[in-house]
Amino acid sequence: MIDEKREKFIIPIGPQHPALKEPGHFEFTVDGEIVTAASVRLGYAHRGIEKATESRNWTQNMYLLERICGICSHIHALAYCLGVEKLAGVSAPPRAQAIRVIVAELERIHSHLMWLGVAAHEAGFDTLFMYSWRDREALMDVLESLTGNRVNYSANLIGGVKFDISTDQRDTILRALETLEERSKHYLSIVTSDMVFLRRTRGIGTTSAAQAEKIGLVGPTARASGVARDVRVDAPYAAYVDFPVKLVLHTVGDLESRFVVRINELFESYRLIREILDHMPEGEITARIPRRIKEGETISRVEAPRGELFYFIKSNGSDMPERIKVRTPTMCNMASVPVLGIGQQLADIPMILAGIDPCFSCNDRTTVIHQGEDGDVWTWERLRQHGIDFYRGQP
Amino acid sequence: MSEILAILVFPGGLFLLAGGMMYEWADRKLIARLQNRVGPRWFQPLADVVKLLVKEEVIPSGVSTFLFVVLPIVALAGALTSALYVPLAGLAPTFSFSGDLIVALYLLSLLTLCTGLAGSNTTDSFSLVGATRTLTQLFSYEAPFLVALLGPAIAAGSWQISEVNAYAQSHWMAFLQPVGFVVALIGLLGKLELPPFDSPEAETEIVAGAMTEYSGRGLALFYLGRKVELMVGLTLVASFYLGGLNNPLEFVLKTLVLLLGMSVLQSLMARLRIDQVVGLWWRYGALLVLGQWLVLMLIGGFTS
Amino acid sequence: MRMGAMFTDVIRALFQRPATRQYPFERTASPDRLRGKLNWDAEKCTGCSLCVKDCPAQALEVFMVDKANKRVVLRYHLDRCTYCAQCVVSCRQSALTMAHDEWELADTDKKLFTITCGDDADVQRLADLAPKGVNEQT
Repeated sequence: MIDEKREKFIIPIGPQHPALKEPGHFEFTVDGEIVTAASVRLGYAHRGIEKATESRNWTQNMYLLERICGICSHIHALAYCLGVEKLAGVSAPPRAQAIRVIVAELERIHSHLMWLGVAAHEAGFDTLFMYSWRDREALMDVLESLTGNRVNYSANLIGGVKFDISTDQRDTILRALETLEERSKHYLSIVTSDMVFLRRTRGIGTTSAAQAEKIGLVGPTARASGVARDVRVDAPYAAYVDFPVKLVLHTVGDLESRFVVRINELFESYRLIREILDHMPEGEITARIPRRIKEGETISRVEAPRGELFYFIKSNGSDMPERIKVRTPTMCNMASVPVLGIGQQLADIPMILAGIDPCFSCNDRTTVIHQGEDGDVWTWERLRQHGIDFYRGQP
Repeated sequence: MSEILAILVFPGGLFLLAGGMMYEWADRKLIARLQNRVGPRWFQPLADVVKLLVKEEVIPSGVSTFLFVVLPIVALAGALTSALYVPLAGLAPTFSFSGDLIVALYLLSLLTLCTGLAGSNTTDSFSLVGATRTLTQLFSYEAPFLVALLGPAIAAGSWQISEVNAYAQSHWMAFLQPVGFVVALIGLLGKLELPPFDSPEAETEIVAGAMTEYSGRGLALFYLGRKVELMVGLTLVASFYLGGLNNPLEFVLKTLVLLLGMSVLQSLMARLRIDQVVGLWWRYGALLVLGQWLVLMLIGGFTS
Repeated sequence: MRMGAMFTDVIRALFQRPATRQYPFERTASPDRLRGKLNWDAEKCTGCSLCVKDCPAQALEVFMVDKANKRVVLRYHLDRCTYCAQCVVSCRQSALTMAHDEWELADTDKKLFTITCGDDADVQRLADLAPKGVNEQT
C-alpha cells in the first residue's frame, strides 16, 4: 500500500469498552499494531458535585464528597474534614487522627490490591486477578467490621471520627495484616519473576524522572519514575506527623516498577498500621465543632492511594460552604497516557492506561470541550440551544 | 442409512455438540477451580448457546450479507466434519482413508480461517484488528502444530489417523517424543485461541476481536464450532500422544487429563502480545519440533 | 525469571474449597458495627429535628403532632437512606440506632420503603392532619 493513500486507522476505546470499567474516551491511531497518535476525552462522569456542595450544609457535604470516588472514599472525606477543621480553628483529638490514618492506610491497601488485580486482568493474567481480589476480601471484612461498611466507610466526622478501635478489633486487624503481608510478598515475587508477565511489563511505557516532572505525575506513578513526591512525607497531616512514612521509590519508571512501587507501599502501610496500633494515643475521639464555619478559605492536601488529592474550601461564615474545588490525582496522571502510548504496541495500551490506576468519576470535575468556539462564557439559554442543535444534527 | 445416522447423531452431529459443550464446561470449571472460584454449573454452555440462538442476529451495514451469514455455518461444518476422521469416544473413526490426518487438520483450520474472514468482512476497527491477529496467529502456530502431529505419524509410518492410533497404543508418544507433545499441547491452545494465545480476542484491547460484530445465531454457531474443535483437538492429541484411544473410558480419562494440563497452562500465563506469539512459535516452537523431527528421521534411517 | 510463578497457588487450589461464599445459601454473620436499618425510640425523641438537618439524603422527616405532649412521628425513607449513620451521631438523646442484622432491605414494592413510625394513634393523627395523598408523596 502506498503511504499517502493509507487512511487513518483509529481504534476507539470507550466510553463503553471492556477494558474500562468507567467512561472515558480514547482514540488511538494505529499503523498495524503500533500506535502513532492518541487523544483523550474525559467528562462523561461529570456529576456536578462541586456545585451541589454549595447547597448542602457542612455535615451533609462530607457524605457527598465521600462519594466522589468509591475506592478512595475515606481519603476524600479526610481531606474535606481536615480543611474544614483548619477553617474552624479546631483540631481533632490525637486518637481520632490515629484512627483516621489507620482507615486511610487500610483503604490504601485495598486500593493497591484491587489495582494489582485490575492491571493483571488488563494483561490477560486472570489468575493473579482472582487471587489478589480473593485476598483483598479479608481486608474488606476488616473494614466492614471496623467501620460498618465495605465501601464509603463514613468513618469521619468533622472534628473527629465516629468509632473507636477496641482491643478485639485491633487483633482482627493485626491478624488480617499478617496473612496479607505474606500474600503481598508472594505477589511481589510473581510480578518480578514470572517470565510471561514480565514480557508484558518490563520496559513498557517507561517514564523518565524528567518526563514525569514535566507531565506532572503524582502518587505511586511518579514514585515509580523516581520522583520523590508524597504528601504524607512532604507535608505530613493527621497522625503522619507522629508516625512518619518512609518514601517508597523505584527508578526505572516502566510498568514493572509501578507494580513494585505499589506492592512495596503495601508493606509500608502494614508497618505503619502496626506501629500506630502499638502506640495508640489515648483520649477523646471527637472535638466539638460549630455548625457555622468562620469566614475564610483554605487548601487541604492529602495523599490518596493514587496520588495527591487537593481540596480548596471557602466559607462565607454560614452553615454551607461558598465554594469547594477538588483536584483528584487521576487528573494529573491522565496526561501521561497519550504521551506514553505513542510508539507502543496496541496491546500494551490498556496496560499503560491501567498503570496510572485511573479513576474516571474522580477526575470529571469540569468539562471544557473546544469545538472552534472562542472561550467566552455561555449563558444558560445559549448552552441549552447548543444542546438542542447538537442533538438535532445527529443522524 | 447408518452413514446418515453417523453424521447426524453419533459420532457426528448431536453427540459432538453435546460433547463439545461438556468439554467446554469442564474447561471453564477446571480453570475456575484453579483460580479458587466455584465456576459455572454443567448446563452453562448450553444455556449460553440457547440464549444466543434466541436473540436477534444483527447484520451490520457495510458487510457482504452472504459472507456474514455463511461464514459461521462453514466454520461449524468444518469443525463437525473433521470429527468424522478422529477416533471419537475411543471408537474407530467413521471415515478413514490414507492421509486423512491432513484433511482433518485442514478442516480444523477452517474455523480459524472463517473467523479471520468474518472479521475482515466487517468495517469495524476492532474486528479488523482481530482478524489480522487471528490470521497472523494462524500462520505462526499452524506449521509447528502440524509438524508436531506428524511426529507420531512418521513413527507409525502412516498418515492415516486410525493407524497412528493403533500404533500409539503400544507406544506412548508423549515419552518418546516429549517435545512434539508439548508443542502439540500448546499448539492446541493457540488453535482454540485460549490464554495465553487469546490476543485475537483480547477483550481489554479489541472487545471480542473478529467476533465483535457478530450476535445471535452467527455468534452461537462460531462458539459451537469452537467447542467442537476443542473436543476434536483433544481427541487427536490424546490418541496420538497418550497411548491411543480404543474404548470410551480410555477416551474420557485421557482427554480429561489433557484438558487438565491445558487448563493449568491457561491459568498460569498472561496474555502474549501478537508479536510475541509469532516470535515464540517461529523462534522456539518450530525449531524445537523440527529438531525433534530431524532426530526421528535420523534414528529411523539408521534402524531401518 | 521463571515460568508459571503461580504454579503452587493453582495446584493448591485444586484441593481447596473455592473461596466464593455462595450467598444466599451460605451466610456469614454480619459484624456488630454494620450499619443497617434505622431504629427509632419514640420515648427518647424530643423532636428537635437535628437528624433531619444533617441527613445528607433527606431520608428523614419529623412531624410534631402534639407539641404540648411531645408526641412525635418519624417518617423514614428507606430507599433514600445511605446508611451513613450521621443521624445516629447527631441525635443528642440517643433515640436513633442502626440495626446490624437488618440489611437485606431490597423489595419490589416501593411503598414499603416509606416507613412511618410512632405511636399508632399519633400516626393516625398525622394522616388526618395531612391533606390526602401526602403519605404517597415522595
